Amino acid sequence: MKNKNTLLNKKGQLSSVIGSYSFILIFAAIFIVYLIINQGATTWNGVMNILRHSAVVGIIAFGMGLVIITGGIDLSVGSTLALVGGMSVLVFNKSNSIILTLLFALAAGAFCGLINGFLIGRVKMPPFIVTLATMLVFRSISQYTLRTTGSSIYNMDGTLSSYEGFYGFGQQKVLTIPVVGLVFLLVCALIVFMSNNTKFGKTIYALGSNEKAARLAGINVERTSVLVYVITGILTGLSAFLWLAMNGSVDPATLGKSNEMYAIAAVVIGGISMSGGKGKILGVAFGAMSYTIIDKIIASLGFDALINDSIKGSILLLAVLVQQVVPMLREKIRKLSKEKAAR
Amino acid sequence: MQMLKMTNITKSFSGVTVLDNVSFSVGQGEVTALLGENGAGKSTLMNILAGVYTRDSGKVEFDGRPLENTTVKLAENVGIAFVHQELNLFNDLKVYENIFLRKEILTKAGTLNKKAMIAKTRELFDSLGVDIDPNTMVSQLETSKKQLLEIAKALFANAKLLILDEPTTSLNQGEIDHLFGIIRRLKEQGKSFIFISHKMNEIFAIADRYTVLRNGNFIKEGNIADTTMEEVTRLMVGNSYSNSQVYRTRELGEPILELDHLCGEGFHNINLSVRRGEIVGMTGLKGAGVSEMMRAVFGAAPIISGTLTVDGKVIRNNRIHKAMVNKIAMVAANRKENSIIPDFSLLENNYISEHTLSAKRPLIHKKKEVQRFNHMREVLSIKANSYADTITSLSGGNQQKVILARWLSTEADIILMDNPTQGIDVGAKAEIYKLILQLAESGKTILINTLEIPEIQKIADRCVVFYHGSIQAILEREGITEEQVMLYATNVLHS
Repeated sequence: MKNKNTLLNKKGQLSSVIGSYSFILIFAAIFIVYLIINQGATTWNGVMNILRHSAVVGIIAFGMGLVIITGGIDLSVGSTLALVGGMSVLVFNKSNSIILTLLFALAAGAFCGLINGFLIGRVKMPPFIVTLATMLVFRSISQYTLRTTGSSIYNMDGTLSSYEGFYGFGQQKVLTIPVVGLVFLLVCALIVFMSNNTKFGKTIYALGSNEKAARLAGINVERTSVLVYVITGILTGLSAFLWLAMNGSVDPATLGKSNEMYAIAAVVIGGISMSGGKGKILGVAFGAMSYTIIDKIIASLGFDALINDSIKGSILLLAVLVQQVVPMLREKIRKLSKEKAAR
Repeated sequence: MQMLKMTNITKSFSGVTVLDNVSFSVGQGEVTALLGENGAGKSTLMNILAGVYTRDSGKVEFDGRPLENTTVKLAENVGIAFVHQELNLFNDLKVYENIFLRKEILTKAGTLNKKAMIAKTRELFDSLGVDIDPNTMVSQLETSKKQLLEIAKALFANAKLLILDEPTTSLNQGEIDHLFGIIRRLKEQGKSFIFISHKMNEIFAIADRYTVLRNGNFIKEGNIADTTMEEVTRLMVGNSYSNSQVYRTRELGEPILELDHLCGEGFHNINLSVRRGEIVGMTGLKGAGVSEMMRAVFGAAPIISGTLTVDGKVIRNNRIHKAMVNKIAMVAANRKENSIIPDFSLLENNYISEHTLSAKRPLIHKKKEVQRFNHMREVLSIKANSYADTITSLSGGNQQKVILARWLSTEADIILMDNPTQGIDVGAKAEIYKLILQLAESGKTILINTLEIPEIQKIADRCVVFYHGSIQAILEREGITEEQVMLYATNVLHS
């Protein structure tokens, strides 16, 4: 009798682990589908490219993850990408300096985030409304500025001496791993460390879990709330820089469109609760990579790219379904084991 | 004629008897005061009457007919109206919409007949002498008007017996007089009232009869005219409490916390000097201002005027973090809402406050924290399997100990405790008293706000009694008796 009980308990623990790491299951399932479809054609480079292509949305999604843990949302990230990307092209063409372009992208991203953060954290406006508004504003500024220059896309000047170095950075590999992918992993490690091992990281979770109690425990909730949006802005600026290195140009009408949605989806697939307070940042990386693989699967099947979003949407529903059903099953198992124990 | 007759009502919750053979009656056209301390069983009895709880045994007779299987709806239908302390109105609807909710008058076309409803509302208000525009949003009304609206609503639904649960807590004297005028008029029309209040002068102004409960038992009933405030207070309190074994006299240090003419929202002109190592019990009726004053000292609410001095240093522009730097801590009231981070483990809940003080060193050293927390766990005897347990898996008493540990980790010298034993069982309460005394012996200064006077008797060096936002009396330990405190808290005695 006792043995049976511990067995069931172990099952309960197992399901609880599955519940909080469901993002790995989803990722593994999608990855296996990818391997099957590609059959022998899967190469090391192909796999490494998943990292590279996850970087832009993935890095943004880390910021989104932090914002959502505080109980907020940031719809403006896609537009921030288009704005900062476009402006960075102008800065690069003027300065012919990669470093300066990087610093500008980070600062401009931080500034966009600060606008959101100030209105949300200090003025206490609802995050959904604030970032919906800045989403419209940022993209429009990017498009309007381009119109005044008379061209149709922001194009980096290929004749500049630093161009080769900049564009080369986006294609470069270190020990067969793309540099852009390495940046993605580095940011992931940094944000995971921050959220788990720093005092500031704990304030993010505390704010999303119980804002009133967090305040009465001495946490400066306004500061934390402003900072997560600034961090998201900086990460989006970094993404814009990586995009330039990989592509060399920015079309403000299309760059980053729906990126906020993909970022939110990556966060949700990563197991972070939309109501805030719980979830692991690591999951966001897996969520982002899952979506990149779906792109690859569709490409290798030769499907029309327009079917892409139906599949991504369905995966999102499935992921949330798993997150809902697993705890319910766990509860049932617990009840069953209790009943058995009673008998 | 008897309007309500409840006989031998018994009720227990999970094995604990909260009402034991209680009888209670109300005559037609009478106001009966239902008296007793917190936890005496008043609200349980009223909730049984209103159909919120079902009784285990006993009989209820209303308006000459027996009431069986009472539900909230049935109670309403026969004419029992419960006017709750926290008013049950819809703030985002208009006054007349609240009155006619689910009883709307319709036109022939099936749409709302607003004109008719507004006219009827006006008629009702005129007959009561209530001055409210039926078209205002309820959210715009002052609390006193809301109270009257709630009563009007009950009368419109043909209530014969109205239960008024502490209806005067948020009213000023003029509003109270107005309410009493309306109650007197309705009495003449044959309506009956059950009046629940702690304020003796009001009870003696409005009630005809009284019933006293204590610890779930019926104590006495009688005519208000035949008794005195002192006698009723004595009946409520009883004389069963006198155990103060935990208390020990201690050497007190120099003054560490001084309030000089301190004013803020809900309290005014507070003068108090507390010495290092002292335990000060603070009490007063709900809304008397103790909680508000504590929040202001902790920096969670603004100080409007006066000075706050901590350890000889005047604190200006007080904020929570500033208070914490000056070694003040607050165990907030309403643990679930104001203290607990539900998604955090015990360890995280423990360290969240210390982290804000040591934010200059941004990294968390988990091993060290676990070590120190485990030590704290032993000292406070927190019953939990591991530091990694979620705080919501603990019992109320252990949760509160974790919160206490949170503030001890900040090494605060002054600990404000706002109703710290709320929702905690008797055993855990006793443990917390012991801890408080131990802390005081180790030099911590403790201010504890509680409505339960026996708690203060057990541990406090002094007792500060609040009434309507200011200090009514400061009693030395020898002078703290429940009766005395009650008399001050209800403004029967002034000093």
